[in-house]
Amino acid sequence: MSLWIYEVGLILRSPVALIATLLLAIFAGAAVLAGLHEVSRQQAAIAAIPAAQAEDNAAVAVRVAESQDAGSAAYYSFHPTWNAPSTLAFAALGMRDVSPHMLRIRALGLEAQIYDGETFNPELALPGRFDFAFVLVFLAPLFVIALFHDLTSGEREAGRLRTLEALPHGGRALWLRRSGLRFIMLWTALGVPFLLGALVSRAPLAGTAAFVVIVAAYLLFWIAVALLVSRLRWSSVANAAALAAIWLVLALVLPTLANVVINRALPVEQGSEIALAQREAVNGAWDIPREDTMRRFYANHPEWDGIAPLPETFHYKWYLAFHQVGDESVADQVQAYRTGLERRDAAARTLGVLLPTVGVQAVLTRLARTDLQAQLAYQNDIRAYHQRLRAFYYSYLFHDRPFAAADFGRAPTFVEGG
Amino acid sequence: MRTTLLIARDELRLMIRNKVALIAVVLMTLLTLTAVASAWSHQQHAADLRARHQSEAEQAFDAQPDRHPHRVVHYGHFIYRPLSPLAAFDPGVDAFTGSSLFLEGHRQNTANFGDVRQSSMLVRFGQLTPAFILQTVAPLLLIFLGYGVLSRETERGTLRLLLLQGARRSQVVGGKLIALGAVTLLAGLPAMIGFALIAGKPGASALPMMITALGYGAYLALWAIIIVFVSACVRRSRTALIGLIGFWAVTVILLPRVAPDIANAVVPLESRLQTDIAIGRDLRRAGDSHDANDPHFAAFRQSVLDRYGVDRIEDLPVNYKGLQAIEGERLTSELFDQYARRAHAAQLRQNRIVQTAGLFSPAIALRSMSMAAAGTDLAAHQRFLDQAEAYRFDLVQRLNRLQAESVSYANDTASDAGADRRKRIAADHWRQMPQFLYRPASASDLARAALPGLLVLVAWLSLAGLLLTAALRRLGGR
Repeated sequence: MSLWIYEVGLILRSPVALIATLLLAIFAGAAVLAGLHEVSRQQAAIAAIPAAQAEDNAAVAVRVAESQDAGSAAYYSFHPTWNAPSTLAFAALGMRDVSPHMLRIRALGLEAQIYDGETFNPELALPGRFDFAFVLVFLAPLFVIALFHDLTSGEREAGRLRTLEALPHGGRALWLRRSGLRFIMLWTALGVPFLLGALVSRAPLAGTAAFVVIVAAYLLFWIAVALLVSRLRWSSVANAAALAAIWLVLALVLPTLANVVINRALPVEQGSEIALAQREAVNGAWDIPREDTMRRFYANHPEWDGIAPLPETFHYKWYLAFHQVGDESVADQVQAYRTGLERRDAAARTLGVLLPTVGVQAVLTRLARTDLQAQLAYQNDIRAYHQRLRAFYYSYLFHDRPFAAADFGRAPTFVEGG
Repeated sequence: MRTTLLIARDELRLMIRNKVALIAVVLMTLLTLTAVASAWSHQQHAADLRARHQSEAEQAFDAQPDRHPHRVVHYGHFIYRPLSPLAAFDPGVDAFTGSSLFLEGHRQNTANFGDVRQSSMLVRFGQLTPAFILQTVAPLLLIFLGYGVLSRETERGTLRLLLLQGARRSQVVGGKLIALGAVTLLAGLPAMIGFALIAGKPGASALPMMITALGYGAYLALWAIIIVFVSACVRRSRTALIGLIGFWAVTVILLPRVAPDIANAVVPLESRLQTDIAIGRDLRRAGDSHDANDPHFAAFRQSVLDRYGVDRIEDLPVNYKGLQAIEGERLTSELFDQYARRAHAAQLRQNRIVQTAGLFSPAIALRSMSMAAAGTDLAAHQRFLDQAEAYRFDLVQRLNRLQAESVSYANDTASDAGADRRKRIAADHWRQMPQFLYRPASASDLARAALPGLLVLVAWLSLAGLLLTAALRRLGGR
């Protein structure tokens, strides 16, 4: 035990180690604060939806009051959806800054609405966010390098190495003690700010524990790399250069290269095609006999068939039907588009098995529900909700029931994960 | 001068003998060539794809059958943001902004289908482009090659020896600088070759390219000077290396991420949901064309009747519904413009905060300069959005005028069996609508936008030069 105390004393007298640990703790703390701030901003924006939306709803109700037409209500009513940040999102903001976390939809064609984005400044998004995941994945390895590159070579250069190895409790045990101590310092520097953040945002225990373990594992990976390099018995300065070069390759070069390769190997170009084809289908409905549209609609939705025939004049059930037929006509492209995105994501995940930098980023954003999968899950929620909205309005339209003021309150509300 | 060159030659010989350095330079060259090739083909591919989509959209628009003009207002039009030729060097925010925009009446849509939402999270690690290599990777390579140029000599005591043999301090430092400068040129060469290839593309203009080349030259020269300066100031090579890597990590990796976060916190942007609701509220106040009792439109109707000297809208020589649509679109578009201007102003304020941070990080200054010169920055995207909105407004109003002039009010309000046929106008009207032609910023505009970044870099360069001169005097004095 006293040997450990001596080692602690040694480290406390080395300004480099102390300053490095402190600096890392400051970076981690700042990143956690920045993440918490961003998350609370998103939460506040989501919390402000009902008040803002109430005003909009009231205006629609006034507009529809006279006709009591469910079609008008469906046409003019926007229904908010949202994707609240998870309690761990503060630590890995992932794609949340470039994907919408709120989207208002109408019971019209969904494919023309679901890809809409959020207002964000692209120049600010370009370099990526300063969050805990960034501090861990990019900065922490540099601190490992600073603390470990001269672990043995420094002693060799000072002429103490042989003595140290010959000491009782020297050799392996000594390096283990010194490495262990440095590891604990770095782990604490990262872990404590994170844990405080997790406490503030009331993150679940399992996810928090997983984060802390990943932090440790990632640090240990870099320590292992540093110790492997030190076995080459190079000088301290050569060690540092080699480690920094490895970091450059693992953190910047290979991920960016992989991004190019993945995007090239798995092209995803259906986005614009969906938009074009859906518009063609929806607007084309005005140029074909209405019965054709209704036939296609009833074929897929027999539950609404034969209730009330289409009148001679304009009727919203035809309007909403051709919107739905328009959506359904591009279902294959939508599926292909989604599959393309999932395959890109899966490819990056596979790469993460080989590249710890990518792997850690992938796991953290998965735990925090801020990755592409989370965005696609949000789209699933929107699709499910949109179906319920359609069914709600159809139940009035196809039964020719009037849509009274009280009926606005009966519209289904969005449920996350539902 | 001979002594200086001799020292430079010696230093270069040492670098060549250093296998690690050699491998690093070779790897860097390969990486740059990969980046040049991939960015080039990506630019080509994206530009072709967008051009193809654009012509498909135009064909679809022109191929519309006989329709009521208001149907065409809702049918709308798709336009695609063309990619500037220099995007092959620095794609800037291209991946982060949608490239396709749907234009329709009464609505202002977002640009959708940007790469960032269609890629795995790898896209957030950065994009492998010549600009990324020069901004991020090249300085680190120079650090590896140059941290020891003077500290090594100090450490081994050979610096004293050199000075005793009669070499002047300026000659020693000059020689080292020349050696590192030569390596810098070599490291930057592949990217510059790629750059020159792009210069041959149609639409690439000389002035912004010259500024870009100057800016990157200044940036790499700055790093060479900083490296020699740090190497001159410290007694041990290890301190030089750690210090330089730390400086690189802070200015190239850390600050470019921290500055945007600060900007986001200081100047929050209004969400799209809030904006849409606010526009809806303002619109209800301004006038609702769908509401028969709306005061604004009641006054508008009266003014139309007065202008034509008739008492009933049925007696107007034009279709009142078309006029109403024109007025309605004018009101909504005014609001769109107003809110878009406000959002854009907020984003500009954010960018100014980041640019202020550029005073502390040459990488930020270079990045802004590079994107501005390449026409791939926020300003370029905003330019596209502004032109798209102007085109949307013009297109919708042309269609509304067609409704006013070519569809009679009687037909427009009829609902008998044949009414649908009578409301439609001939398909060749659609072919007469103008096409969207994006007008890119002029060369002088791009150059002007890039100038502030270049000035910051030059200021950094001068400061570093002064520091190096100051360090010169103390060199070898310990």
